[in-house]
Amino acid sequence: MKPFDYFSPKTLNEACSLLRNSGEGARILAGGTDVLVELRKPSAHLPKSIIDISRIAALKGITESGDSIIIGALTTHDEVHRSELIAKYAPLLRSAVSMIGSPQIRNRGTIGGNIMNAAACADTVPPLMTLNARLKLNSSLGEREIALTDFFVKPYVTIAHPDEILSEIHFHKLSLALRSSFVKLGRRNALSIARLSVAVVLKVGGKGIIEEARIVPGAAFPIWQRVREAEVVLVGQKLSRDIFVEAGKKVSEIMISYTGRRWSTEYKEPVIAVLVRRALEQCIDKEKKA
Amino acid sequence: MKTIAIKVTINKKQQQLVIKPNLTLLDLLREELGLTGTKCGCEIGECGACTVLLNGQAVNSCLVLAPQVDGQEIVTVEGLAVGNLLTPLQDSFLDHDAVHCGFCTPGMLMSAQGLLDHSLDPTESDVRTAISGNLCRCSGYQQIVDAIKDTKVSVNDTNKARIHTEKRT
Repeated sequence: MKPFDYFSPKTLNEACSLLRNSGEGARILAGGTDVLVELRKPSAHLPKSIIDISRIAALKGITESGDSIIIGALTTHDEVHRSELIAKYAPLLRSAVSMIGSPQIRNRGTIGGNIMNAAACADTVPPLMTLNARLKLNSSLGEREIALTDFFVKPYVTIAHPDEILSEIHFHKLSLALRSSFVKLGRRNALSIARLSVAVVLKVGGKGIIEEARIVPGAAFPIWQRVREAEVVLVGQKLSRDIFVEAGKKVSEIMISYTGRRWSTEYKEPVIAVLVRRALEQCIDKEKKA
Repeated sequence: MKTIAIKVTINKKQQQLVIKPNLTLLDLLREELGLTGTKCGCEIGECGACTVLLNGQAVNSCLVLAPQVDGQEIVTVEGLAVGNLLTPLQDSFLDHDAVHCGFCTPGMLMSAQGLLDHSLDPTESDVRTAISGNLCRCSGYQQIVDAIKDTKVSVNDTNKARIHTEKRT
């Protein structure tokens, strides 16, 4: 590992001023599950300083405030997984974090790091996007809020300025009338990078009519987005396998309109359609049990 | 690059160390402190050979920057047995021939210990999840799973542990 200067601020303000003074040669370290891997790579862009924010207590934990859930950026995947608030109000996020990496990774990796690293396979992003999550970014100049849908530019690139730190993620509690699910396909169960994933939120009315649908695939589009074209296929329709299949095909079609046909398309085209159908079916299976 | 002074408790012993910041916890344990029971495998958090307990939780020591453990508590595989007295988990590994080439064993033990510290009666599924971040290239998983599952039986059975220890010594 190349040498660097190491700082461990205890407060967000301190971290922000350190980051501002260090310029672009600084790298924020949280859980380290991505940063430590990068630090060992032979690369011309290795950081001159590491700002370890892992001791900033204010950025940890999950709280509720009225109708909202607030997750501190330093909350680990394991903490999200064990949270009763998340189990109750964002169950699909709970499923997503349970599939990240391995127990060791989930004990260290943070939800903030997963978002800021912005890998196309980041498992927390599709569920958070279906929850209409918003991010709070802090810098020595102040703070701002941004919708998660507006945050990503392309894989590994976000609109966050180099002097900004993600401090919290918040979203409205998923009403108990809404059903949700997350499915992920990897090459194996543990330690797998998502080849494709889908997060779905569904609201079903009294007569089995779909009143609302939100669909966000992972690792499918150049950047994450709601697939509104597929959502409208569902809304107003009666629940049925056929309509789920149709929505899946629509997601597949829209995906290809963005990515074009490439080496992986032959695989991803049918698979994403099936994953969307499965995710929708999982929402309904849960409803039957409930 | 400035050195950093840290205080860390390793295997119940508090230590004050002055370290370079560009060390991983794995480097610190193996290269600086000579605790070579923790193995260095992939160094990207995939194989689990370097697993240690950090504040009671299993972590990949290759993905923890050494200065991050300031004020924290670490248990490595060397911290399990007390003298010649192996832990019930270690005994169970021997009973089940759960050690093949042995390279994954320290990491497997630490992941399993992390599980057993939090749940006395884990299911097979809990056990398999707990070691899902540990690779065994001899593919001796079944014996490892059996060893961990059977440990719960012997947690309170100190006699069994003692007899096995005596047999070996």
